[in-house]
Amino acid sequence: MTSRAAKHARYLPQDKLEISLFPFLSIFLCVMGVLSFINILSSVSAPQKIELTMELEQGYKVAFQVFTMPDGVISVPPINRLLELQQVVDEESRSMLAMIILRRQQVIDEVTYAQANPALVARSPDVEDISLWLYEIRQINEMALSVNFLYEEFILFGIYPNGGEAYQKIRSVMSRFEGARSISVGLEPLDANWSLSLHNKSGQ
Amino acid sequence: MNNLINVDSLTDIVSNSVGILIIFAVINLIHDNNKTYELEIPIEHETELRPAYIISKDDRLLILDTEQVFTNAAQQAGKGAASNKRIFDLGYNGLFAQIDELKGISFHARDTENWPKFTELAKSGSDLQNQLQAIDPKQYFAYFFVYDETSPGSTSGSGFESFREARKYLKHRRVKSGWQPVSADFPPGICDIGYSSECQYLPSFLASDAAPTL
Repeated sequence: MTSRAAKHARYLPQDKLEISLFPFLSIFLCVMGVLSFINILSSVSAPQKIELTMELEQGYKVAFQVFTMPDGVISVPPINRLLELQQVVDEESRSMLAMIILRRQQVIDEVTYAQANPALVARSPDVEDISLWLYEIRQINEMALSVNFLYEEFILFGIYPNGGEAYQKIRSVMSRFEGARSISVGLEPLDANWSLSLHNKSGQ
Repeated sequence: MNNLINVDSLTDIVSNSVGILIIFAVINLIHDNNKTYELEIPIEHETELRPAYIISKDDRLLILDTEQVFTNAAQQAGKGAASNKRIFDLGYNGLFAQIDELKGISFHARDTENWPKFTELAKSGSDLQNQLQAIDPKQYFAYFFVYDETSPGSTSGSGFESFREARKYLKHRRVKSGWQPVSADFPPGICDIGYSSECQYLPSFLASDAAPTL
């Protein structure tokens, strides 16, 4: 009995081992603080991605996308529905469409190849290039209209900071181009940290 | 600090908190990687509505009182200040102007300090709200001249954010909006389409926005 009492006495509450928790608290709170900070920082500063598909549509209107940057412009022409249009037009229009599709495919391949840094394929807006875009769009729209195919291309400008100059130049060429008035135009401002994420999926 | 509590429960609480934070961080990271923004597709439309001009620069907005602007410009022109395409002080909210036969009147926004910040759109009854509310959607659409120049450390055009916010605000009030990017080299201007085909101010909106409301 005596030995049991002595054993109990050794583990009385007042004899519990007392440790200062300051270092533990300090370390854990520091870790929590750093993690919270990283969390907040990543949610604030993470570059936003903007979903830009090769084929962007608004009903039957399909976007011929032009991104204007300080270094120049990048064009992303649509192709997918042209293949359907090709099936319903006459022989002459079909061969013309084949040429347009081939030319556009080259442009898309170039943009896709340089997707990591699309600015590399940006080029200064050239009057001949712009005239060719407008000519092709007009031809395609007229072909679609002539066979009652619900399809109309329009130009959608994505304007990056300091990209307004390129935009103004294109609009200036458009204002002089006969028939450009029949081509619809849309424009949206884009921030520099909105990266292009181009992939060939159907538009919304 | 001599706070003495049970080591087990304390480490349990803190390590749980750390674990939850790590999970949040991972979820946030995955979410951010997948976060994509669909590009809106507004298309310019012909309209019977008249434009109410707004300049958007340095996160500030200036709604142009065209009557006042033209009166001031005419006065300055009468004094000879506007001859030979000279840039003159318009005497209107820090705006300078230039008159050209082909380009009409161009504006040079040199001092924007007195213009209201777009954040005032969130303040109920602010001057900016009142001015935008004065735009009658049955007669007018808002046409923005948006400065695309970047200020140091910014990733956006100096007028982009204010334009987006004002457009959103106006959209709720069913006021249509159009815009064009401008800069010091391509300043905002008002001209008549009778003089140049470049002088066209159109609202751009989604086809769905144009549908009549029931």
